[in-house]
Amino acid sequence: MHGPLQTQVALSVDDAAARRAFTFWALQLVIAAAYFWAQASGEAIFASVPWRKAETMWGIVTLAHLVLTSTIRALAKRHKWLALPPRPLFWRVFAATLLAAALTFGLTLAISQHIYGQIVPPILATFYAKLSLNNQLFNSFIGILLIYAAWVCGYFAIVIQRQRTRDELRRVQLSEALQAAELRLLKSQLNPHFLFNALNGVRALIADEPTKAQDAITQLARTLRYTLAAGDAELVTLAREMEMVDDYLALESLRLAERLRVVREIEPAAAEARIPVMLLQMLVENAIKHGIAPLRQGGTLRIAARVVARMLLIQVQNPCAPTQEAPPRAQGVGLKNASERLRLLFGDAASLELDLATPERAAATVRLPL
Amino acid sequence: MRALIVDDEPLARRELRRLLAGFPRIQIAGEASDVEEARERIESLAPELVFLDVQMPGGTGFDLLARLDTLPRVIFTTAYDHYAVKAFEVSALDYLLKPIEPERLAAALAKIPTPSAAPVAHGPLEQLFVRDGPRCWFVPLREVSLFTAEGNYVRLSWGKTRPLFGRSLSALEAKLDPRRFFRANRQQIVNLDFIEAVDLGEGGRLHLQLRDGPEVEVSRRQARLFRARSTV
Repeated sequence: MHGPLQTQVALSVDDAAARRAFTFWALQLVIAAAYFWAQASGEAIFASVPWRKAETMWGIVTLAHLVLTSTIRALAKRHKWLALPPRPLFWRVFAATLLAAALTFGLTLAISQHIYGQIVPPILATFYAKLSLNNQLFNSFIGILLIYAAWVCGYFAIVIQRQRTRDELRRVQLSEALQAAELRLLKSQLNPHFLFNALNGVRALIADEPTKAQDAITQLARTLRYTLAAGDAELVTLAREMEMVDDYLALESLRLAERLRVVREIEPAAAEARIPVMLLQMLVENAIKHGIAPLRQGGTLRIAARVVARMLLIQVQNPCAPTQEAPPRAQGVGLKNASERLRLLFGDAASLELDLATPERAAATVRLPL
Repeated sequence: MRALIVDDEPLARRELRRLLAGFPRIQIAGEASDVEEARERIESLAPELVFLDVQMPGGTGFDLLARLDTLPRVIFTTAYDHYAVKAFEVSALDYLLKPIEPERLAAALAKIPTPSAAPVAHGPLEQLFVRDGPRCWFVPLREVSLFTAEGNYVRLSWGKTRPLFGRSLSALEAKLDPRRFFRANRQQIVNLDFIEAVDLGEGGRLHLQLRDGPEVEVSRRQARLFRARSTV
């Protein structure tokens, strides 16, 4: 799932880049054509100049607009202006706009002088007929500046908006991929410590108690098979999970001997309920690792499950050392993973609580919707 | 060689006992199943070698070592947390992964020299087990140039490492080899092997320049002792 998703994202990035370039140039050319046509025909009609001259005049100016706006775009892309904070971005855009407007203004005057022998193009001279030459020039410059300002505002508004959408999309895709990976990861795997201790125990049994050793190997095989298969299914019946937990407990009894005592109180109705795979195993493992194994005299592990008001209630209780300092941190990882998994699978409908309020006793309670 | 097996799992003890039966050199003096029991056994049986599990009820193998006055040789036995053992900056010890392979056990035992006729337990201290925060070291005492009191603890100057040892300077002094270590003043004990130069400072005070470290001033009272032993 991970691979294809990444490829898809990469492909869509390439496609999107091509699509964006196409959109940009299409828009540029349409706007340029409209501008050219408005200016040239306006000048030919209202200032009564030959079409050929107007065409040359505004053709060159339009080309300058195209080149300069594209340059601004290229600069913004190359130097990653969009990654900048608002203020530096603003000043760069402002400076680029001013510079482009000044260049275009100079060019317009020069071409007008060359073609018509007057510094202000005829259409503008007609338009601003009542103004002094200086004011005509000033107004012409402001007109050009406004055209660039409009272009820049339009361009950056679109680009920024699109970047936001893209970031948002990427975030969503990322969190989806993360969720899938998390779910895989959160299914607690068998603790290697347990595995090697169990193997060590089996090795000790082989010579003296071969039957016991054979049983232990069978239990170990079943436990391993269940763990390996846990990747395939999210949910299993409590009864199925309990079979695995029984094997697991039998193996733990090998090493803990009489220090581990187990009480099971599973209601028949609860046994058929479906629970996240490896969840009960994790709770039991935690209870042994942090509760019973550190106690010299060991203790009783109590596993209870019942159905209350259309909810499945699982409780794992264990004694713990009275002086145990800050157990939540040590137990934290497994339990945090488990509750994160419950959240991903059931949302707010499920819960996992660890009750350490009673001294020398810890109880983990899971509530699941049926 | 007398050995003690420390492991909370009866099966693991049984297995190790069986494996050790193949080594007549090793004589199993006893077993212990937790830290407290192990401490008592080590004090009463004075084994030369301890097979030590890391995770046990009531504390880890490291806790046990930190509580001991005299360190036996230690071989850690562990199912998976060998990284905990590897956390040692200098491993003057061996570790065996469970299930233990007989060949690895033989190799670990081969590294242990046959003890001389003289009893080890009553000689001066050779090495310290030091635990400072999450890190542990077996520190060979002859490599420590200087011991400096810090409150009720002692800072060791050991190469580039400066671990804090959880006993008082006086308690440590009583166990050090007096032929090698000298109490220069109330705060410091120097390793005589590390003295590079002895200078006469202001007011006739003796200053000892250490090879890899600072200058240590010898108190007036101790200066007399120092002169007495240097002239010998």
